[in-house]
Amino acid sequence: MPVDTLSTRLIGLRGFYRAGYRSVLAYRSDLLFGIAGLVIQAALTVIVWRVLYDGQDEVAGVGSATAVAYAVLGACIQAVVMPWQFSSLPQRVIRGQIGVDMMRPRSLISQNLAQSLGTIVGRLPIGAGGLVAGLALGGVQAPHTLLDLVASVVSMALGIANIMTINLLVSMTAFWTLEIGGVLILYRFASSFLSGALIPLWFMPAWLQPILDWLPFQAQIYAPLSIWFGTRHGAELLGTLAVQLGWVVVLFLLLQAAWRRAVHKVVVLGG
Amino acid sequence: MAETVTALSAVREDLRASRILLRAAWRAALTYRVSFLSTIIGGVALQGTQLLFIGVLLSKFSVIHGWRLNDIAFLFAMRLASHAVYVVPFGALFSIDQAIQQGDVDRYLLRPAGLYLQLITRYAPLMALGDALLGFGALAIFAPRAPVDWTPAKVVFLAVALIGGGLVESGMQTFLAGLSFRTTSTTSLRILVDDTITRFSGYPLTMFNRWGFLSLTFVFPMAFIAYLPATVLLGRTDQLPIPAWLAYVSPLGGLVVFTVGLTFFNRMIRGYNSPGS
Repeated sequence: MPVDTLSTRLIGLRGFYRAGYRSVLAYRSDLLFGIAGLVIQAALTVIVWRVLYDGQDEVAGVGSATAVAYAVLGACIQAVVMPWQFSSLPQRVIRGQIGVDMMRPRSLISQNLAQSLGTIVGRLPIGAGGLVAGLALGGVQAPHTLLDLVASVVSMALGIANIMTINLLVSMTAFWTLEIGGVLILYRFASSFLSGALIPLWFMPAWLQPILDWLPFQAQIYAPLSIWFGTRHGAELLGTLAVQLGWVVVLFLLLQAAWRRAVHKVVVLGG
Repeated sequence: MAETVTALSAVREDLRASRILLRAAWRAALTYRVSFLSTIIGGVALQGTQLLFIGVLLSKFSVIHGWRLNDIAFLFAMRLASHAVYVVPFGALFSIDQAIQQGDVDRYLLRPAGLYLQLITRYAPLMALGDALLGFGALAIFAPRAPVDWTPAKVVFLAVALIGGGLVESGMQTFLAGLSFRTTSTTSLRILVDDTITRFSGYPLTMFNRWGFLSLTFVFPMAFIAYLPATVLLGRTDQLPIPAWLAYVSPLGGLVVFTVGLTFFNRMIRGYNSPGS
């Protein structure tokens, strides 16, 4: 009888991680176009924000250099962590492969999370390309202090955990309805606009700010980037990290609850 | 003489075939009511993000490269409506990679209708109805507010420009779809083009300095989608580093780009190797 230890569990999941990773690298041309695309977009983004700031030093308390750097970093992070296809889960449900997935000795949640982590790692070169373009145009700023750097890396990890969990949670809609294209697009809209990937939330209208604070999306990209740019210190910094961690826990519990209900829903076509 | 007759009957056959194929595709798409609604809302949301983005920017910055809220809103509405003109009839072109990989193209080649026609009627791009709703809705709201004295001639120019803009995007995507016959995956390239257009074609493009603007006009002809015709309607052709008459004839750019795209596509079919052979 095989011993179920943490290391054997991780070995099982490594396969899914690799599958995600390889799914990105399988089509080299896709990866190359992804890099080229982000390079172009980073360059255009730098120009757009510089023209916007033309003749103004500060808007909404944010300087030109910070806004440019935020936009570039936001675009790079978004390109890495928000792939066009969130998860292979909906397809697997539609094709009935989910039946096999459920028989595997690892939970469906961990299988999918390992796979999406692999996808994110596979997409890192795309983000790196955009970052290099931003650096070349002088559009990227380093954090002011080492503490900010460390804290924003921790915060980014929490943001990525948040994104992976919500992605899977949204993909699980597939257990209830097979046509989830619209749901996924709506979520994509919410995550790119409300997470601060497209636009720093500093620029959002005042009435929207309290709503954004209560949504999980701001903990995805806005939180790590605002730490990166040194706008949070001391208790506020710790508070931000705590809120991020809280969201990851809450979302993960929601994910498990959704999965427990989904199990009873699964009807594999033809089986 | 005989040649024109066969050409005419070929066109008639194609029209008949497209009517049949379109009816089937839309009937299939409309079968599921809930997904119908959610997909359309999704289409609105996808492009609406950009509208919100520009709205938030303008509320803080008020001027972009000398263009004020009403100018930019009108330019953006034009580009959204042009996009709808592309995506409603041609949206299914997006799935050409799957059509090739799954062997559907082999079947299409055996049928008595054009390959391109069958590809664009493969399924009805429901989400495109959301694009249309948003695009023409935005146009209905922002065109009357734009600093334009609307005359019948200008309304006609706008209508032709929207069709032209739609054809520019269709032509570019058709060109790239032609590459699918040679390489296994072009999806990311087509997403890249779509995404660049989505994000940047609603800006006054002269903001990307002289060379940037010229490449966005003559290499990657994004300027023809909305910006060039918009400068005519808004009376801003003096900002252009190209002769003004080019902006006046810009609605015809769509025909050129689409012809180039379709010619390239048809040429690339010759290199098609069935994935199953």
